[in-house]
Amino acid sequence: MRLLLIIGALLLLQFPATVAAQDNTLDGDWGDDWGIEEPTGVPVYGFVEAAMGSRLSSSPYHQRLSLAELRLRLGSDYTWQGVTYTAKGDLAYDDVAGGWKGRTRELNAQFSLLDNLDIKAGRQILTWGTGDYLFLNDLFPKDWQSFFAGRDDEYLKAPSDALKTSAYFDWFNVDLVWTPEFDSDRFISGERLSFFNPLAGELVGPEQMTTVDKPSGDEIAIRLFKTVRGTEWALYGYDGYFKSPEALTEQLVPTFSGLQVVGASMRRPFAAGIINLETAYHRSTDDPHGGQPLVPNSQWRFLVGYEQELMTRFTGGFQAYLEHLSDYSALLDNLPAGQDEPDQNRLVVTSRLTWQNEASDLTLSFFTFYSPTANDGYLRPTVDYRLNDHWYIAGGLNLFFGEQQQTFFKQFNDNNNLYLRVRYAF
Amino acid sequence: MRILTLLSLLAVTSVLPFDRAQAQEITDPHAIAKQAEIAAYYAGDDGRSAARMMITDAQGRTQLRQFIILRKDHSDGGRQDMLVFFSRPADVRDTVFRVAKNIEREDDRWLYLPGLDLIKRISAGDKRTSFVGSHFFYEDVSGRGTSLDDFELISETDAHYVLKATPLDPASVEFSHYEVRIDKNTMLPLKSRFYNAKGEAYREVEAVTIEEIQGYPTVTHSRVKDLVSGGQTEMQFRFTSYNLDLPDSIFSERSMRNPPTEWLELRD
Repeated sequence: MRLLLIIGALLLLQFPATVAAQDNTLDGDWGDDWGIEEPTGVPVYGFVEAAMGSRLSSSPYHQRLSLAELRLRLGSDYTWQGVTYTAKGDLAYDDVAGGWKGRTRELNAQFSLLDNLDIKAGRQILTWGTGDYLFLNDLFPKDWQSFFAGRDDEYLKAPSDALKTSAYFDWFNVDLVWTPEFDSDRFISGERLSFFNPLAGELVGPEQMTTVDKPSGDEIAIRLFKTVRGTEWALYGYDGYFKSPEALTEQLVPTFSGLQVVGASMRRPFAAGIINLETAYHRSTDDPHGGQPLVPNSQWRFLVGYEQELMTRFTGGFQAYLEHLSDYSALLDNLPAGQDEPDQNRLVVTSRLTWQNEASDLTLSFFTFYSPTANDGYLRPTVDYRLNDHWYIAGGLNLFFGEQQQTFFKQFNDNNNLYLRVRYAF
Repeated sequence: MRILTLLSLLAVTSVLPFDRAQAQEITDPHAIAKQAEIAAYYAGDDGRSAARMMITDAQGRTQLRQFIILRKDHSDGGRQDMLVFFSRPADVRDTVFRVAKNIEREDDRWLYLPGLDLIKRISAGDKRTSFVGSHFFYEDVSGRGTSLDDFELISETDAHYVLKATPLDPASVEFSHYEVRIDKNTMLPLKSRFYNAKGEAYREVEAVTIEEIQGYPTVTHSRVKDLVSGGQTEMQFRFTSYNLDLPDSIFSERSMRNPPTEWLELRD
């Protein structure tokens, strides 16, 4: 993984300073009568953001403060001799974690090798699939800690250190992503947010954090896709690992067991809106027949979604999502004594309601997850206000609810929080 | 069905090769509106332009948007592909908007959000809502289909036609009618005024500067005014060129993630 970063950095250093005066492709010279300064040389952009968040009730595991950070983002991109170099990084003082941290978000080179072949190498953000906050075939790393703590949506996607090859043909297109070293999700570990640890049979926080055994193998993800008269078709494949440490080693250390995925999706206009269908089979390669109690079973996933404008500037999106465990009887037969029987089916329905004002500087959004099978859910109301081209304010709530402590959303209930972010972009 | 569509396209194209001498003879208000649509939105077989908007709200505060538009027509007055690459302000940098304008069904629209590497499909929505926070509507940028309104020629001078347009589906729009003054020489709409149900003008779209580029009369500066609040947006176009032979293949998901830089270089 470091190797790719180093290659990326060398590529960045390689272009001579003398080309810095060359016109930036997207700006150009307006010879100006509006008195607007045109950027010269390599553009630098980014933002400074202050974010504060608080738990709604006191938690036995964490302090009241759930988010307290000051963040500087710097980014730049430059195209030279057909290669686009992109660098983006964050420097943040995080008072919850108690210190400074710097993170490279993107550091990559993108170019076309042939007329129909594109390469993107280095640290990059990767997304595919049709779900809205639900992922069936997108096995690229997610940062659930950021998502639940109230950082910008952008941070739900954690970067991959990968080589992406895209090829375009008449009949179909292919994306092939090779990640030399497995990138896991930034999963809920207890560090910032408490969760239910089935091994301990209780909620755990930072005190009970355990080490995690992380594999060092690679990951391969492939997508075949094509749009035919407004209908987007795609087939997916993945060979790697579960993105969260859902398995246990024989020493009962959490680990990432092997995973292969095949799937398909379709998205097209339907009635007055957009419909999407997606399915995936997650094959648990370390437990293909369900007989290993320490390794998750294989699973089918199904999604149907529909989005439509309900009124002017008011849009509604609805999804139904099912996870179905394979080899369920083998799982029950091998269940360790005293452990609760998991449900074979987990159904989740979601809705997203979004309203924007006439000037489109104020956006109200309400996202709801609800699982009728587990009787738990997650509410995510947000407000985004844009004061001008530089200043932005965002706020929202993360509210988890349910009946039983061990269910997916209810386990985070002690982390219900309210947050506010103020950003100056440049 | 396909044959019918083809035939209707042929019929449309045969009316065309736009001829100014001929244009002055038109008396059918629908034909005038169609010619104006073609002059304003279908110049050349394809085109590229850099654009920027200065948005001024009622309190005089300003905002800026800057982008490059690539466009390719499948037939004049017919299907059209469009890509809009944003460079300013910072929060929309590298955002790409893609439209496939259809005639027999709703347009296909996608938005690429670079921060998430996400291609979001946008459902067919009200096209008379703000285009990226400006006073321009989506429909002002991509063109309002002439089949959506009924046209009436209300006056004519040596230089202009003035049409009154009444929506066929009044519930789908915020205006009760609009009047558009069209220049006979260029067939470009010079000024459109939109009226509410009380008959009051509340919105005005105006071509401020027209230049001839590669033989095509082109609006290089336009302005929309909110006559009620006093806010307005000015839009300027630079580096416009036509008939670049843009390949069909660039109007695709590929260009949203990996912009076709060779077609985005700005030269006059």
